[in-house]
Amino acid sequence: MRALKQCIVLILLSLGLVTSASAILPIEKLETYKGAKAYLVQTKALPMVDIEVSIDAGDRYDPAGKSGLADMTAGLMNYGVRGDKGLLSEAQIADEIADLGANIGLTVGGERAILRIRTLSRKDLRDRAVQLAATMLTAPTYDANIVAREKQRTITGLLEAETKPEYVLDRRFKKMVYGSYPLGDAPSAKSVATITTADLRQFHKQFYRGDRMIVSIVGDVDAAQANEIVQALLKKIPQSGPTIAQLPDFQRSSVEPLAQREVQIPFDAQQAHIAMGMTAVARNNPDYFPLLVGNYVLGGGGFVSRLMSEVREKRGLAYSVFSYFAPGKETGIFQAGLQTKSNQGALAFEVLSNTIAQFIADGPTVSELGAAKANLINGYPLRIDNNRKLLDNVSSIAWNELPLDTMETWTKQVEAVTLEQVTVAFQKYLAMDRMRIVVLGAQNK
Amino acid sequence: MRSYLLRISCLFLLLVQLSWAGSQDQADTHEFQLRNGLKLIVREDHRAPTVAHMVWYRAGSMDEINGRTGVAHVLEHMMFKGTNKVKSGEFSRLVAAVGGRENAFTSRDYTAYFQQVEKSKLDEVIKLEADRMSNLNFDDAEFLKEIQVVMEERRLRTEDNPSSLLNESLMATAYMSSPYRHPVVGWMNDLQNMKASDARDWYRAWYKPNNATVVITGDVDAKKVLVTVEKYYGAVAAQELPARKPQVEPPQKGMKQVQIKAPADSAQLAMAWKVPRLEPGKLDDPEPYALELLTAVLDGYDNARLNRTLVKQEKVVNDVGVGYDMVSRGPELFLISATMAKGKTVTQAQASIRKALDDLKQKGILESELKRIKVRILSDQIYKRDSIFGQAMEIGSTEMAGFSWKDIDYMLEKMQTITPEQVQAVAKKYLIDEGLTIATLDPQARKAVGKEGQ
Repeated sequence: MRALKQCIVLILLSLGLVTSASAILPIEKLETYKGAKAYLVQTKALPMVDIEVSIDAGDRYDPAGKSGLADMTAGLMNYGVRGDKGLLSEAQIADEIADLGANIGLTVGGERAILRIRTLSRKDLRDRAVQLAATMLTAPTYDANIVAREKQRTITGLLEAETKPEYVLDRRFKKMVYGSYPLGDAPSAKSVATITTADLRQFHKQFYRGDRMIVSIVGDVDAAQANEIVQALLKKIPQSGPTIAQLPDFQRSSVEPLAQREVQIPFDAQQAHIAMGMTAVARNNPDYFPLLVGNYVLGGGGFVSRLMSEVREKRGLAYSVFSYFAPGKETGIFQAGLQTKSNQGALAFEVLSNTIAQFIADGPTVSELGAAKANLINGYPLRIDNNRKLLDNVSSIAWNELPLDTMETWTKQVEAVTLEQVTVAFQKYLAMDRMRIVVLGAQNK
Repeated sequence: MRSYLLRISCLFLLLVQLSWAGSQDQADTHEFQLRNGLKLIVREDHRAPTVAHMVWYRAGSMDEINGRTGVAHVLEHMMFKGTNKVKSGEFSRLVAAVGGRENAFTSRDYTAYFQQVEKSKLDEVIKLEADRMSNLNFDDAEFLKEIQVVMEERRLRTEDNPSSLLNESLMATAYMSSPYRHPVVGWMNDLQNMKASDARDWYRAWYKPNNATVVITGDVDAKKVLVTVEKYYGAVAAQELPARKPQVEPPQKGMKQVQIKAPADSAQLAMAWKVPRLEPGKLDDPEPYALELLTAVLDGYDNARLNRTLVKQEKVVNDVGVGYDMVSRGPELFLISATMAKGKTVTQAQASIRKALDDLKQKGILESELKRIKVRILSDQIYKRDSIFGQAMEIGSTEMAGFSWKDIDYMLEKMQTITPEQVQAVAKKYLIDEGLTIATLDPQARKAVGKEGQ
């Protein structure tokens, strides 16, 4: 009878009908393989697993004049590979992914390229999805015809993007904020046109190696199975390679006269678009939490931020207005922005600028600080309540080399933030005479 | 041969897992109706200590009348502007204080409001949401500011967005009498002439418990939730709703075309055919399922037909997409849209699309293609359970279209029974010129307005 009960409990557990207490799930460190660190969070309720490989091969490694190379190196990995049993065409790869009911996607950001796999956790399906992803990661063919086709598609997409206000604004803003740091250069029709098959193979060979990778896994696998996944993914990846030239230092935006750091772009559209910001902090900066809490008050807190109140609620000037810090491992910027009817550009800019300046000067009020902390702390469970979000967290912790107990200490770190810390941190990292400003399409009557 | 067997076994295993997922849904989901007509659907999902709370009003832009387009969406904005007890902006502040995430959205079919919170905060957001179901009270000054915000939203999403302009014209051309011809955000002139009283009238007409469905998913106990929902939402009285005229679109009698000129670099093409949707009470009609599968055969994965032939082989378009949703209140279109490749014309793209469709109509589709799509649909049934918010969305939108959440599993099972011949048959029957509307975007250089200055 007792054995039967245990059996029933086991079955219920396996079906996710009984769950343990809602404690934060621990991150397990897996065996390092080929120089790649690997991490696991076990969640057993659903028969699925999410796997991510982060590769230190982001846009910032684009060689001068070849912006777009990092993007294309990752983006073409599923368009033809050389596997154990010979070549697999892009069509075969796509069919196999579909047949497995899996998703395999590639994205590239400023710092890292990311390969993500979502598969059912059944061993046979999972193994095949992992095997396919491993081949993509290890041996993309970069077939010349496909490279030519995808270059043309990318160029067509860029020419289209260049007609859009938000793209023109963002490209110019990034150029001004990053300056000579490589992230200042966005891909253009010209830079993409210069990319060759040899460039792609070279970039892949240089950067796609174990010592530049991190694997994060969330889902229905145990540690032994997760170690198997890591090893299958990286089995044929070289552990290391030649030294890669150091990137220039990521520098604080300099103090400049307004004329040197503000640009007006004429643009015939219904709305003016405005961006304002500067370089800021990396994720592991000790002032990360004061800045997070402070920015919630300034422009991060959805409908209740100061920017939302001043620009939208009080004056009806914009639908969207925001500010954020985007901290990475070694880079990070602060950005604020809005869009408004073109003849209100000057007015909206003034409100945006004054609100930010005042916040840097005076910091939040006591009640604003309390409200920000209450929201962040009470809302923390919403940041980790499914596999996808857990994967985002594990991956960020691993990439930014944060302590493995970050999810457990997060709310305590928010709680500990003081009014003075916020004010000091904002004054330390932000300054109005350093802000880069782009105003596009404002028609001043 | 080996891979064929493997595929069979994958499908079988997935079916087993799906039936598990399906019976889970039925066991964990509870439906109640309050005396005032409000429907409550609770899905218990105890994986994490959070909950999604949504209220869905069956009043979307399709319920608007001429001259007042956009009022459903404007009212959605005004719902954050205060009640008798909660002053303007306070709703969001109170939700934020408990750590909640919140927003709202309006479609042609419905308007929905939601909060996501840690489970112990559920009662507080239920109380707030129930309060604004019947006590909304905003002043004219708030309206005058907010209507400006809505116009900014329209400028951002439509006026300065050529794809949206194209879609807006496509809908207005494809439909003559159906209210689906109007954009959800409303025409700019209607927004300019809207009055606070229009929004109040809308609220008084439609925001009633007997026109609302509350969906709660997450780490809750259905019986306890019912007590709270009865306490707060139960206090509101039912009221007769305005009559909904059917406004059935007359049959189309020949091809329609419309052209838009807007700043862009590439031309765009949209081809939309009138097709049936799934009707409540007729869940066994195979055609809507076959149309869903046709969508996926054409565009469901990277090597699906249109992407393979048009983007990769012929290189005539840069991107192509297919849209169809069998679950909706109003009439449905089967939509193929494409952005031209460099140097290609919409005429060439249209010819290629027609060729691909003719090929499918004449030769049918392969059993293996269909099987691939079905596997995908099955695995997505597992993946969708990762998000409690996604589950609440699925339940709510299905209910708003006149179905029961209980039908969702039946629809998925039905989908698995569709044959290649049935997919071919709907392509032949419906993808014909009599019911076709074509919209093209003719790209224009943006007007030069002076030089860049610092």
